[in-house]
Amino acid sequence: MNRNLFSLAWRETIRSAYWGKSLATSLGLGFLALYFSANFLFLGIFIPKILAEEFPNIDPVSKFNSILLGYFAIDLLVRQLMQKLPTVSFRPLLVQNVRRPQISHYLMLRSLLSFFNVLPFFLLVPVTVSMVANAHSGFEIFSWFLSVVILIFSNHFLAIYLKWRFNDAEYQFFILLAAFAGLFALNHFGIVDFSGALGKLLDLILVSPAIAFPLILLPVLLYMLNFRFLIGRMFLNMITTKQKEEKIRDYSWLDRLGETGRFIALELKLIWRNKRPRSIATMAIVFLSYGLLIYKDTNGHEPPEFLFILGGIILVGMFSISYGQFFPAWHSNYFSMLMCQRLKMKQFLRSFYMLVTVISVTSYFLTLPYALIYPKVIYTHLAMLLYNLGINVPVIFFIGLYSKKRLELNQSSVMNYQGVGASQWLAALPMMLGPIGLFYIVKLAFGTTAGYIGLGLVGFIGILCHSFIIEFFSKQYRKQKHQLIANYKNS
Amino acid sequence: MIQIQNLIKAYNKEIVLNIPELTIEKGEIFGLVGNNGAGKTTLFNIILDLIVASKGSVTSNGINVRESEDWKDFTGAFIDETFLIGYLTAEEYFAFIAGLRKMSKVQTADFLDGFTDFFNGEILGKKKFLRDFSKGNQKKAGIVAALMGKPEIVVFDEPFANLDPSSQYKLRKLIKDFAAQHGTTFLISDHTLENIADVSTRLIILEKGKIVRDVPKTETTLQEIEAFFKPVVETDLF
Repeated sequence: MNRNLFSLAWRETIRSAYWGKSLATSLGLGFLALYFSANFLFLGIFIPKILAEEFPNIDPVSKFNSILLGYFAIDLLVRQLMQKLPTVSFRPLLVQNVRRPQISHYLMLRSLLSFFNVLPFFLLVPVTVSMVANAHSGFEIFSWFLSVVILIFSNHFLAIYLKWRFNDAEYQFFILLAAFAGLFALNHFGIVDFSGALGKLLDLILVSPAIAFPLILLPVLLYMLNFRFLIGRMFLNMITTKQKEEKIRDYSWLDRLGETGRFIALELKLIWRNKRPRSIATMAIVFLSYGLLIYKDTNGHEPPEFLFILGGIILVGMFSISYGQFFPAWHSNYFSMLMCQRLKMKQFLRSFYMLVTVISVTSYFLTLPYALIYPKVIYTHLAMLLYNLGINVPVIFFIGLYSKKRLELNQSSVMNYQGVGASQWLAALPMMLGPIGLFYIVKLAFGTTAGYIGLGLVGFIGILCHSFIIEFFSKQYRKQKHQLIANYKNS
Repeated sequence: MIQIQNLIKAYNKEIVLNIPELTIEKGEIFGLVGNNGAGKTTLFNIILDLIVASKGSVTSNGINVRESEDWKDFTGAFIDETFLIGYLTAEEYFAFIAGLRKMSKVQTADFLDGFTDFFNGEILGKKKFLRDFSKGNQKKAGIVAALMGKPEIVVFDEPFANLDPSSQYKLRKLIKDFAAQHGTTFLISDHTLENIADVSTRLIILEKGKIVRDVPKTETTLQEIEAFFKPVVETDLF
C-alpha cells in the first residue's frame, strides 16, 4: 500500500475512533475495551483448568479445538452488529489519481485495524502457552497457532463480505441469525457435526503440521471475494442510499389531539423513519423479555429487592431512558427552524411527556405476566412506573438543557457513539441508581413495603406537579435556546 | 419595519458584524451581498434571534426580538437545509408548518396550488422524504414553506444557490410578485449579483461586518456592484 494511503488509514483510525469523541465517551469506551480484554485474558488463563475439570476423560486441547467453531460463529454475529466498515472513506479517493484496485486493497487492509482482530489474541496466547505447549513440540504448536490465526482473519473477511453484501439492510441480519440458529440446531442434535469436524482438523494439524498450510488459501480466497465485490461496485451509489419509494404511513389521525398531537405525530415519524431511534425502540421491545433473566425462579429464593427495582426501571422505563437521554437532540438537525416558528416550548415538552407516558403505561401492562413468577411485580412495577413518569422525565428534561451534540439520525444505535457526550453517561446513572438508593433509605427506616410505597409516592407527587414542571422547564429551554443552537451547529 | 441599533457581534474579541444603524422599510426587497465571512448569515441569524448579538438591538415591527417571541407571528425564514425536517415528505412538511402557522387544510392546498409552476412537478406527490430530495428541490420546499401564512417579513439566505437556471428566473418573479401582492418585506442575500440586483429594491454591500454601500436600485446598480467585487488589477492567474 502506498505510504500516503497508509497514513490516511492511520489518521482515520486515530481521529475517528478515539480522539473525536468526548473525554467521557473515550473513557467509557476505553473501559469497555479493557474489560473485554481482561475477560478474555482470564478466560485464556483458566480455560485449561476448566476443561480439565469439566471433561476429565477428554484431552483438553482436543476439547478446546472442538468448541472453537462456536466461538467463530458468535464472533461473526458480533462483528456483523458492531464492526464498522470503512466504506465511506473511499469517496474522496475515487477522483484522485489512485487506481481502483489500490483503493480496494486499501479499504480491506484498513478494515483489519479493528479491535475485534486484537481481542482473540488475549485468549489465544495464554491458551497456547499454558495448554497446547505442554503436550506438543515447537513446530506443531506453531502450525496450530498459525491455523487459528488464519481462521480469525478468515472470519474477519467473511464478516466484512457479508456486511458489504447486506449493505445496511437490517432484516438480512435476522436471516443470518436464523441460518445460524438452524446450523446450531443441526450441530446440537448431532445431525451434522460441524464443530467436531473443525476440532478434528485442528487435532490433525497438531499431529501432522503440514496440513495447516493449505488453510492459508481460506483467507486469500475470502480476500479475493471481497476484492472482486468491491472493484465492481466502487461507485458513489454504494454508499448513498438507494432511491426507492418509501411506504408513507399516514399519521393525520393524530391531528385530532390538537397541537400536542401534531408533535406526537412528528415524534412517531422520527422514530419510525430513522434508523437510530428505530433501533432504540426495537431494543426497548426486546428488553421487555429481560424479565425472564431477572425474575427467574431460583428454587424458592426470591431475588434481592434491588433486582426488582432495576427490573422495573428496565422493563417499564427502558424506552424513556434510552430515548430520553438524547432529548432534545433528536430534533437537533432542524432545531433552528423550530426556534423560528410560532411554537410553544410547552407543547414541545408536553408531547414528549405524553409519548413517554403512553409507552411506559403500555410497557407496564405488557410486563404484568411476570406476576405469574412473582406476584409482587404488580406493585413493584407500578411503583417504578410512577417513579419513571414523576421523577425520571423531569431528570431527562433537566439533562436535555445541557444537550451538546447534534445527532445523526440515520446510523444504527449499536455501538454508535456519535452525539454521545458526558451528559449521556451521567444521565443513565441517576435514573438507574436514584430509585435504588431512595428505596433502601426508606426501607431502612420503615421496611420493604414502605420502600415501594415511597418510590410510588414520590413519583405520584411528580406526576401531580407535571404541568408545573413542564412550565418550569419550558422557561429554562427558552433561556437555553441560543446555547443549544450553537452546540448543535458546532458539533 | 426592522430597526437595527448599534449592533455588534464579536467572537473572542474579533468583531464579525458592526452595524451602527440600519432601518429596513416595509415592502422593501432588501438585497445583501458580500464575500464569504462578510457577516450576511450572522446578521440574518441575529434578526431571527438564533444567535445573540454582543451589543445592540434588533426591533422588528416594534418588537425587540430578544425580549418577545411575538415577531414569529409575522416572520418566515429559510436559512439553509437544516430548516427542513429530513424524514418528512414535502406534503407532510408543509402540513406541519401550516399547523404552526394556523392554516387550514383548504388554505394550505390553495396556497400550494399557487406554486405549481415553481415546483415543476418535482416536489409534491413524490413518495420520497425531503432528505432524499436533490439540493435544489430541498431549497424549493424550504422557500415555499417560509412563505406560508402570509408573513410580513421573509428572510432568505442565498435562495438562488443550487437552483437550476429556469427556477432562478421563476424565483425572481415569485419574490417580486409576492412582495407586490402582499406588501411583504424581503431580506435576501446571494452571491449571484445579477439575481440579487434584479429582485432587490435596495442593495447593501457588507464587507468584514460593515456596511460599505447602501443604495436604492437604479439601472446602473448591477454595474456598480460588479465593479465593487471585481479585482482591481486583473492579472493572469494561469
